Amino acid sequence: MQTQTIWQRMLSIDRRLLYLLLFVNIVVFLLAPIRMPASISPPVQKFYDEIEKLKPGDLVMISSNWSASTLAENQPQLEAVLIHLMRKKARFTFISIEAQSRDISYRLARRVTETTGYEYGKDWAHFGFVPNLTVAIKGMVNDLPSTIKQDVRGTPISQLEVVKGVKSLGQYKMIIDVTPSGTVPIWISYSPKGIPILYCPTSVMAAEAYTYLDSGQIKGMITGAKGAQEYEQLLHIKGLGAPFANAISFSHVLIILFILLGNLAMFMNRVQARREA
Amino acid sequence: MSLSHFIAQWQLPEQGRYLYATLVVLGASVLILGLAPVLQSLPPRGRRALIVTVTFLAGLFFAAEFFLPIDWTAVFPKDDPTRNFLTPAIQPAQNVLQIIGALALGLGTYGLVRLHLRNVVQKRTQWGYSVVLLVAFVTMATFSILNTLSEKQLVTKTPLLETVFSILFDYTLVQLDAAMFSLIAFYIFSAAYRAFRIRSVEASILMFTAMVVMIGVVPLGAYISYTVLGLPQGPAPENADWWTRFLHSAGLPTIAHWILTALNAPAQRAIEFGVGIGGLAMAIRLWLSLERGVT
Repeated sequence: MQTQTIWQRMLSIDRRLLYLLLFVNIVVFLLAPIRMPASISPPVQKFYDEIEKLKPGDLVMISSNWSASTLAENQPQLEAVLIHLMRKKARFTFISIEAQSRDISYRLARRVTETTGYEYGKDWAHFGFVPNLTVAIKGMVNDLPSTIKQDVRGTPISQLEVVKGVKSLGQYKMIIDVTPSGTVPIWISYSPKGIPILYCPTSVMAAEAYTYLDSGQIKGMITGAKGAQEYEQLLHIKGLGAPFANAISFSHVLIILFILLGNLAMFMNRVQARREA
Repeated sequence: MSLSHFIAQWQLPEQGRYLYATLVVLGASVLILGLAPVLQSLPPRGRRALIVTVTFLAGLFFAAEFFLPIDWTAVFPKDDPTRNFLTPAIQPAQNVLQIIGALALGLGTYGLVRLHLRNVVQKRTQWGYSVVLLVAFVTMATFSILNTLSEKQLVTKTPLLETVFSILFDYTLVQLDAAMFSLIAFYIFSAAYRAFRIRSVEASILMFTAMVVMIGVVPLGAYISYTVLGLPQGPAPENADWWTRFLHSAGLPTIAHWILTALNAPAQRAIEFGVGIGGLAMAIRLWLSLERGVT
């Protein structure tokens, strides 16, 4: 049997070896105490500046539509944003479009707010989930209390101090969409004009959102875990964004390295084949 | 909130409230369960006509509500000038959609349980997985419902309930879901290694751009540019010479941001226009029931 050259062996590398390399790379750089300061990207800076404009007591709608599958990107984003909102003493309400997003965002907000003395019902509330976001936004614009009716705990929203006197979504000062899916065009299309919309997508969704940033239809964007790291840096807090971004950084390096190696192996293999011919 | 408070929200007459509540629930159930055999008994042509009509009317309502001008006080003097006469019906439409969604969920659950129960009873191939599914389904559903009821203060929230729900939801479901999704990273790595080959000029440009963006958007890009190479960060001063301006814009994060905003955004906009037009055409086909499989 003819022995394989190193380049041929590289081209037919066992995929399990690649999986193992990536796994070790992620674990090592997730746990390693290496922390590289992020360069604050313009969309994240705009996001921060927009929240800085809020006054104490301003009401913010957070549309949290992520579930466990995108937890690594959306959780650090939402935690950092909540901390910033609480620093600005803004009030906020949540809405989700499916059951798991509702449970995750409610439990996360309960945990984060517990440490700061934010009181459920008075400073924040969760409206549960609505199956059709378009219709829900239109309903909230026209008549918020009869669209939502009750919060996640079953309390009629007329009894929630946080939305006392609020008749329409138009009375909110800001909308923040934390999502891995394409919900932001729905908020842009149907929410009342003049309310700034901020966006926290996963990295893979961010490329599509630059058109809305350009047009000013969204005022700022936190892109995935690395955006969360930038935001944590702006807030001077230690969150999940930094270690996650660290692992992503070195995974990107590994992927690039192996793409280059794969191309080198292909090139060397061709050269060798020509020589033999 | 107690059960009586919960029922009180339905605004039923005070006298015989529980009887009314029971009748409302039973009546709605009979109506919904009765509707299915009625629809099933219709001849195919009649069923199709019904579906086409309902789809058309529903689409017409949402389109008309969106496109009609808002001020109709000239025709309906008592109407709100900030919205048109169809707008108040949006809320009932939302309720109908919620009911349809709940029915679909119930139907899906019924189908899933039926299929896996049959697998277990008939001991089909890999019936053990069906047992796992059924046990997981019943356990999760039971504790989720109990947890929701305890949030609404309809049952007592005990530490045991909270612990069990936390184990099932936070430490099992969430972790499994996250782990499943993270597997994509491994496939991407393997696929990128095998498929990303420079075979043409276009592929070379694509690969070079991808690499710049991949490194430029992560903290490592900033570290290489500003700490290792010592490039100046931020915009160049107004009166700077061309070399200083070049150095200020040569950092990987700046180049990656330029690629995303100057190259990616226009391309995305063009794609979105195409998708929008395609979506409109598809919506019209669905609305008019021209799409195959709709009826």
